[in-house]
Amino acid sequence: MRRLLLILTLFAVGCMEWDYGLEEDFDIEASARGLFICNEGNFQYGNATLSYYDPDTKRLENEVFYRANAMKLGDVAQSMTIRDGIGWVVVNNSHVVFAIDINTFKEVGRITGLTSPRYMHFVSDEKAYITQIWDNRIFIVNPKRYEITGYIDIPNMTMEQGSTEQMVQKGKYLYVNCWSYQNRILKIDTESDTIVGELEVGIQPTSLALDCNGKLWTITDGGYDSSPYGYEAPALYRIDPENFTIEHTFSFKKGDAPSEVQLNGAGDTLYWINDDIWAMDVTAERVPVRPFLDSRGTIYYGLTVDPKSGDVYIADAVDYTQQGKIYRYSKEGELINEFYVGVIPGSFCWR
Amino acid sequence: MLEIEMTRFKSILLTTLSMVVLLPALHAQEEGVWRHYDIDAVPIHGARSIKEIGVKETKLDSIVLKEGISLSMADILAFNTPIFVKSYGRATLSTVSFRGTSPSHTQVSWNGMKLNNPMLGMTDFSMIPAYFIDDASLLHGTSSVNETGGGLGGAVKLSTRPTQTEGFALQYIQGIGSFNTFDEFLRLTYGNKRWQLSTRVVHSYSANDFEYRNHDKKENIYDENMNIIGQYYPIERNRSGSFKDFHILQEAYYNTRRGSRIGLNAWYIDSNRELPMLTVDHGADTEFDNRQREHTFRGVITWDHLHSDWKVGAKAGYVNTRLAYDYKRDLGNGIMAHMTSSRSRVNTLYAQGDGEYCIGSKWLFNASLSAHQHFVYSRDKNIILQQGNKGIVGYNQARIELSGSLSAKWRPTEYLGISAVLREELFGTELSPLIPALFIDGRLSKRGNVIAKASISRNYRYPSLNDLYFLPGGNPNLRSESGWSYDAGISFSVGNRESFSLSGSATWFDSYINDWIIWLPTTKGFFSPRNVKDVHAYGVEIDASTDIRLNDNLHLRVDGNYSWTPSINCGEKISDADRSVGKQLPYVPRHTANISGRLSWHRWTFLYKWCYYSERFTMSSNDLSLTGKLPPYFMSNISLERTVSLKWADLSLKGSVNNLFNEEYLSVLSRPMPGINFEIFIGITPRWR
Repeated sequence: MRRLLLILTLFAVGCMEWDYGLEEDFDIEASARGLFICNEGNFQYGNATLSYYDPDTKRLENEVFYRANAMKLGDVAQSMTIRDGIGWVVVNNSHVVFAIDINTFKEVGRITGLTSPRYMHFVSDEKAYITQIWDNRIFIVNPKRYEITGYIDIPNMTMEQGSTEQMVQKGKYLYVNCWSYQNRILKIDTESDTIVGELEVGIQPTSLALDCNGKLWTITDGGYDSSPYGYEAPALYRIDPENFTIEHTFSFKKGDAPSEVQLNGAGDTLYWINDDIWAMDVTAERVPVRPFLDSRGTIYYGLTVDPKSGDVYIADAVDYTQQGKIYRYSKEGELINEFYVGVIPGSFCWR
Repeated sequence: MLEIEMTRFKSILLTTLSMVVLLPALHAQEEGVWRHYDIDAVPIHGARSIKEIGVKETKLDSIVLKEGISLSMADILAFNTPIFVKSYGRATLSTVSFRGTSPSHTQVSWNGMKLNNPMLGMTDFSMIPAYFIDDASLLHGTSSVNETGGGLGGAVKLSTRPTQTEGFALQYIQGIGSFNTFDEFLRLTYGNKRWQLSTRVVHSYSANDFEYRNHDKKENIYDENMNIIGQYYPIERNRSGSFKDFHILQEAYYNTRRGSRIGLNAWYIDSNRELPMLTVDHGADTEFDNRQREHTFRGVITWDHLHSDWKVGAKAGYVNTRLAYDYKRDLGNGIMAHMTSSRSRVNTLYAQGDGEYCIGSKWLFNASLSAHQHFVYSRDKNIILQQGNKGIVGYNQARIELSGSLSAKWRPTEYLGISAVLREELFGTELSPLIPALFIDGRLSKRGNVIAKASISRNYRYPSLNDLYFLPGGNPNLRSESGWSYDAGISFSVGNRESFSLSGSATWFDSYINDWIIWLPTTKGFFSPRNVKDVHAYGVEIDASTDIRLNDNLHLRVDGNYSWTPSINCGEKISDADRSVGKQLPYVPRHTANISGRLSWHRWTFLYKWCYYSERFTMSSNDLSLTGKLPPYFMSNISLERTVSLKWADLSLKGSVNNLFNEEYLSVLSRPMPGINFEIFIGITPRWR
């Protein structure tokens, strides 16, 4: 009878096994080079993670935020930027930007009160911009105080259709691409926090880069079939930021889905994803005939280039519900290394 | 001899009709049949219905449904059946899946009419109050082909039936529980020899702001220079979790007493629910309003006519659903601006005809044809177009869904039964390949009533309207999911009704599902469905039930279920990097089990319910990373009820404790679940005479 009672008790009493509370100590050399990988995770499941890779030693550490802080990174890790030894990880659907020590991965602070943050750009030590989706404002923050200090209202944009994305700065002007159901690049005076210009490009410019010649590059995805906003052949645009005009348009086939325009460290070679991986000299007048790397059933989702070595890192989302894979290629296209990170690796950040 | 045969046939026919057809209780006035639904019923061992040849069916009797009066059908199924309930929180989306399949592989009907949302393909069981359901049964795997197509995992049949009231009757129950929960239940009935009328009302409100320790995030303590000097896991309340649901169900049944019965059911839902914030959400609940509202009307009229050797029936119905989803945020000036404002409308017309004919007691033939005509309007977003004018992102589609079946059932002796079903379906202009199913059963031993069953079927599921047309992302090039299923099992029952009975069954199943549809992200920022996986789902289901009457006043009943459900991705690798092949599907537990025990003594009833889910993976590759798995959990609920009979009324007082051991658990990543909570119910049933 006693045995029966014991068995019944074991059955009855809850025993969900949790393993929280353990903080792991990391101590990355301050001088070491490294690559952070933001793994978005699945929307609404809160399984975003942060990975760290040392390109010299090929050491990989996954889930570093969780392991160092004993808490989750959140829902959809969208992007990361580094300034003065602090990494700022933008976690979109958690409405937060975490500030972490890039050597220990420990949190040093956070910015909250955001709508749906996408990217963060530093204007100075005490001023940064955070773009949003589903909001027609760019948030101005004081990173030192982790405070929202103001907003830049975007004209002709509703909350529901709000979308501001990547930012690059030349001089005192900041350029921002507006993506979801949008077709324009904004020019913002960072001294007055006002919009001083708009440039219409194709449908849904996904990303933005500034090359060694001071030219802006953006690439559109063309929208989708039956979209009321329009559906067109996507294109790569070279833009003169001074005159704020399109200098050259490189068109793709309708139905293509190019994204992730990136530059190498020298800023003279442009890379992007369009099913395959493509590379082009920034002075070229036409898109190459052959890709830099062929797709092999892979779902290329993120791209970066090592600013020092020129190695190309490509994120493969695989089936979007398992650990994604990173392929590291030399600039000549030779595979150097490959490794698994978190679910849906989407963006990178070099330290 | 002929008369005896005819009488026996009548009995079989009436029994099967009463168990399966829409308005089973309309047969109540046929002597004896009603007892099959007696709340004290133990399994009927002797009379194997010809209609149930080879069928694997789990029936929930009214006692189980009555026990969980304040619960949704999702909770009832979790504690009483072997199927997996995936719950996103209290009064939040809850889906069920059989045997390692997905929620859209479960076909659900209410009084014969489909409940599956034609846009989503699945059913939210948290929207179905147990108080409105009088009969519920699960048709596992192949057995679902008897009723419908598309049930690659199985089918859930829910129905109402009349009370056998003479004159007026009223029942009112008031529930008051933790987290400011108020549940009200009212039923008014009127009946005479021809008419049975019933009005049921359920109103549930809860702030649903249960406390829990949030281990997914920490709160920071800063010094004046904004350096972190301390961190802790906050004790939070479930944020943005309140709900207010109102349901009303009107029923009218008329018996011509010349073989015809007519029934009317009309169910209206007004639901207003906040969507709880994730555990990893660092936003303030005062800044966001995330809410879903639903208005649904469902109406069904049924007509059945019974003759000595044939039966015909017809049904007609209409469904109108309006869904609104609003996600707003405070702009800092008190104005809540829409981030998302999506609307959808579904209008469905339904018609069905059934006919049955028997030859002697050994043959039963059935023909059935049903039609659902859906009209769907979906608006996901309001936008400003490039030209500056306003536009809508959405779709407007109509689709007819026809399903016809022919079946023949043959029981040459009491030791053998064979049944064959052929089903054909039309979705829009797409005709499905033939859906065949074959069932066989046989009594191996009269002693112990040992019965062996086996069945095989092919099945198809057509993509839902959102799968095909949703903007953005709908994929009109999707193929239907298809599969083969095999079942074999054995059951026994011993004992008698008066003092002791024990019954049980074990079923092995094996199914292959090809072209499994999954919504995946795209590089354009939205999700899109694709035919991704081939899945091999197999396993074993075991159930047992015992009923012991120790004396006239002491009664113990224990029911248990266990299922082992490997559900393996057996398709081709997407690429060399794909590590999901050969792995268990995410969020499908390999093991589930539940036990419920009910002890009655005089006017006291003690109930204990327990369920278990094994570890679930969150990734298709089954990685055991920190976010890659959900730990297993046990859940225990108890209740104690006392009834009192007064001259003027019957009273009942019941206390329930849910999550008895205050388990910290998750059903889905980042969705908080309540700890221990309590509710008391006071019920009154006045005596008018």
